[in-house]
Amino acid sequence: MNRLRLWLLAVGGAGLAALLVAACLDLPAFGGRWHPYGDRAVQASLDRHIANTIASVNFDQRAYDTLGEISILFAAVLGCVVLLREARDEHRAPPEPAEVARPVRRYALLVLPVALVTGLYVIAHGQLSPGGGFQGGVVAATALHLLYLGADYGALERVRPLGVYEASDSLAVCAYLVLGLAGVLAGTAFLANTLLPYGTFNTLSSGGTVPLLNAAVGMEVASAVVVLLAHFLDQAVEIEEEHGS
Amino acid sequence: MSDAVITVSLLLVAGCATAAVVQRDPARQALVLSVLGAVLAVLFTVLQAPDAGLSQLAVGSALTPLLIMLCVRKVRRRGRTKDGAR
Amino acid sequence: MNGWILAATVGLGGGGAAALWGVTTGSPGRRVIAQNLTTSAVCPALLLLSQGYGRPAYVDLALLMALLGPVGTLVFARLLADDLADERPSAWGLTWAAAGLAAAVVIALCVAGGPGRAMVKLLVIGALLIGGNVIASRALAGGFREVRGG
Repeated sequence: MNRLRLWLLAVGGAGLAALLVAACLDLPAFGGRWHPYGDRAVQASLDRHIANTIASVNFDQRAYDTLGEISILFAAVLGCVVLLREARDEHRAPPEPAEVARPVRRYALLVLPVALVTGLYVIAHGQLSPGGGFQGGVVAATALHLLYLGADYGALERVRPLGVYEASDSLAVCAYLVLGLAGVLAGTAFLANTLLPYGTFNTLSSGGTVPLLNAAVGMEVASAVVVLLAHFLDQAVEIEEEHGS
Repeated sequence: MSDAVITVSLLLVAGCATAAVVQRDPARQALVLSVLGAVLAVLFTVLQAPDAGLSQLAVGSALTPLLIMLCVRKVRRRGRTKDGAR
Repeated sequence: MNGWILAATVGLGGGGAAALWGVTTGSPGRRVIAQNLTTSAVCPALLLLSQGYGRPAYVDLALLMALLGPVGTLVFARLLADDLADERPSAWGLTWAAAGLAAAVVIALCVAGGPGRAMVKLLVIGALLIGGNVIASRALAGGFREVRGG
């Protein structure tokens, strides 16, 4: 039985290798002047007044793929929540208060709002400069955990009602879907960027639905990362096994 | 001549990645991975992909080390409790 | 290839190699100090690259690194506090040298760019970078002494 499986793997692997080699030989040379896909993507992005072509590709031309990506993040966090939940033979001990050096504590509390605002800035400027929903969401979620690093876990738990973040994670995914369905209801295609005016190039309100999708993804990623870190922190700091198990 | 900065970045990434694989202890690996993340972000920047660089910085500077170190703490606590209960 | 990219290459080569050597060899104290100094070596290089390529949008990368690099070091300082308890790693000479490098790069870029919103952003990045570097060094040198299991 083992040998049959190995033969199957070998055949599949050989086929994949042959196809990969054929594809690589057909690629354009590194750093050449002929970029058919790039030219068309940039032209489509400029037609819709989006300055950051990556954001245009992510949220306008291939917005359906981004829907798949946020679903992957959602499912991964869901899996972690299920795996890391408190089991029957574990109990939760309250976290011990910690005494952190004063300069470190002051720095953490000072940088927390700056980092939060920077995260929101990166989300809002996704269609103008490098950044977008994903990057800004991660920065905002990490900013919140400066409260754990600068003070202790009890302080973080007080400002982090976990149910709210789980709900906002789901709501953000639904918002993305609703924005896509709005296109269907208006008579065009799912996630078509033809509903809203395209605005002036290089301003915050340009690009049609791209800023809205950016905001939805930003909220989703921030909430997902907070929930993920919450379960890791619970396991590392609070949850202990019952003795004798 | 901007190839020089690409070469330097590629060499740094190769060195960091090899060092990360050679490390055995997870806590030390987390330290090397943090440096690798920063150097990877620079590589993406010099190859004119700042969006990818920004994503790498956002995830690799604080989030990934935090996840790995929390796992290390959990494993160590579990080891200590088992020794204490015995 | 202009002077800015050349300076960035030199900074990356020297700082990156030193950080890599420091983080792979030696005691845990030396490793975390090397991780801390990676932020101070790479962030000025990103600022210089943004000026060299003529793309002001790349400054956002330096902003994020100045914000989140020290947070990464605080993660290690807090969660490795037991390992570092005996050593109290401190390298104030390196810390102040890195702060001086960051200040020099920010001043050079402010002079090259001229007054405006971009200069305010550069000054904010400089403040975050230097402040974060100093506080992270302080945290490594015994800032989390009283933290037990939290």
